[in-house]
Amino acid sequence: MPVPQGLVIAPQLPDLLLPVKVRRGIFGFLRNHPTVAVGGALLLLLVLIGVFAPYLGTVDPTALAPAKRTRAPSADFWFGTDVLGRDIYSRVLYGARVSLTVGLSVAALASLAGLAIGLVSGFVRWADGIVMRFMDGLMSIPPILLAVALMALTRGSVGNVILAITVAEIPRVSRLVRSVVLSLREQPYVDAAVASGTRAPMIILRHILPNTMAPMLVQATYICASAMIVESILSFIGAGTPPTIPSWGNIMAEGRALWQVKPYIVFFPAAFLSVTVLAVNLLGDGLRDALDPRMAKSL
Amino acid sequence: MVSYILRRIVATLPVMAIVALFVFSLLYIAPGDPAVVIAGDQASPADVERIRQSLGLDRPFLVQFGTWVWHILHGDLGTSIFTSLPVSALIAQRIEPTLSLMVITLILTILIAVPLGVVAAWKAGSWVDRTIMGFAVFGFSVPVFVVGYVLAYVFALELQWLPVQGYTPLAQGFWPWLQNLILPAVALGCVYIALIARITRASMLEVLQQDYIRTARAKGLGQRSILFIHALKNAAVPIVTVIGIGVALLIGGAVVTESVFAIPGLGRLTIDAILRRDYPVIQGIVLLFSFTYVLVNLMVDVTYTLVDPRIRY
Repeated sequence: MPVPQGLVIAPQLPDLLLPVKVRRGIFGFLRNHPTVAVGGALLLLLVLIGVFAPYLGTVDPTALAPAKRTRAPSADFWFGTDVLGRDIYSRVLYGARVSLTVGLSVAALASLAGLAIGLVSGFVRWADGIVMRFMDGLMSIPPILLAVALMALTRGSVGNVILAITVAEIPRVSRLVRSVVLSLREQPYVDAAVASGTRAPMIILRHILPNTMAPMLVQATYICASAMIVESILSFIGAGTPPTIPSWGNIMAEGRALWQVKPYIVFFPAAFLSVTVLAVNLLGDGLRDALDPRMAKSL
Repeated sequence: MVSYILRRIVATLPVMAIVALFVFSLLYIAPGDPAVVIAGDQASPADVERIRQSLGLDRPFLVQFGTWVWHILHGDLGTSIFTSLPVSALIAQRIEPTLSLMVITLILTILIAVPLGVVAAWKAGSWVDRTIMGFAVFGFSVPVFVVGYVLAYVFALELQWLPVQGYTPLAQGFWPWLQNLILPAVALGCVYIALIARITRASMLEVLQQDYIRTARAKGLGQRSILFIHALKNAAVPIVTVIGIGVALLIGGAVVTESVFAIPGLGRLTIDAILRRDYPVIQGIVLLFSFTYVLVNLMVDVTYTLVDPRIRY
């Protein structure tokens, strides 16, 4: 197009702000958030290890072999053997099952219970005071001690470990959900829904619940990580998973007496536990940054 | 302010009552007859009956709870089933190592974590920040006993700089006492350092965007005085809160740390009590720790009003 006389065309300026590259689909999301990808991949790998433990060159993790006690790691026994001659490689791989089961179950159960309590407490005014005072009391007991006290009273089993840790985690989730609900209640769209005569259950289902999902998901990953640590601590001090089941805490507890001379018994389960918890934490941090951009740079 | 502090103290009473009620009723929440649970699998009916009698389990719940609370208010936490010693005496014997460990850890944590968080916020986005925050994620992920074993292996077994295990009472000298506590304190502090470094960074980042920081810069104040005097002071409230909340981590972690480093403290007492199903001891320890935790957080709340003149209730 010919330029009319007297007019100057604005020079082409370089874009100061590059357009944000929008990547779509699950792979696009993962590329935008590498922490989620790394954490998720590591966690998936560990879940696969747990599920396919019997096919990964393991032997019966409880098989005793008194003649082969406390062997150092070698080609035959990759991670060595423990005081009773059991293969530590097999025990560690099977141990992944206990940790992951406990972590995921506690995350799911505590989230559900906390969600229910938090919603009730955030929405039913008269219940709020009572429920929250009770949660304050429960929160004043350090979680590990609460789990220890509960375990001291029940028979050691994976189910009881899950329940004990869940009880200890519920107050934190319900507090979180309650605070989200309280801030959502003030939103204009909730007022609009109330004004147009929507009933409370429908408001909760449609407007409140979906908005609690993002913080809940992030919280659930942290609960999962903390549950795995608490499980290993409980097993380590003898108040957790029964010694007949190989769990990382149990293996470390059995290696405790010998750790100065045979550190590998403690080392391998410790390394697996740390990597698993790290994977879950990375996943949680990544999800937090992805789901709540305001938090991304501050924490 | 005095009235606020008084109200705050009164407000902790119901919380403590709920803690007490909860700790007491744990025994009844657990499935089965409490006397049988405590007596264990190998107990004869006579043993069970003896325990039922000695703990007063044959009386109504409220009467039991009332008696129990009455005794606690008089400093009587009950009697250990296994040793027949008063629980308060058992706790008194073991409290010094645990208290020492927790105090040293607290000091160490604040000395390390707060400067780390300040530097991370100051250099936000740089490699320094990313390294510190990377370590924080790491600190969250590695369980306390793993850190403990690694530290003990490197610094005590290989380098032989510090003793491997054990505890020396403070009465036998400051250095021997401290020497035994350095490794456990670092191990126990790891998670706590990560937590506080994170919150310090977050809180500092917020404050550093304020106008008065820009004013301070414009006045030509040095970086250090801006960071530590203008910014940190104003960022202190969330940091102090989290230091208070994090005491729960310290308490839980102390139990494990003591067992890794063979420190004869309350953690060791707890573990022995669990193995012997000595429920009154467990009850006493949980109650003691929970009350400590509530009191620490009460003190934190009260310090706000002293530190921050903006807070008035």
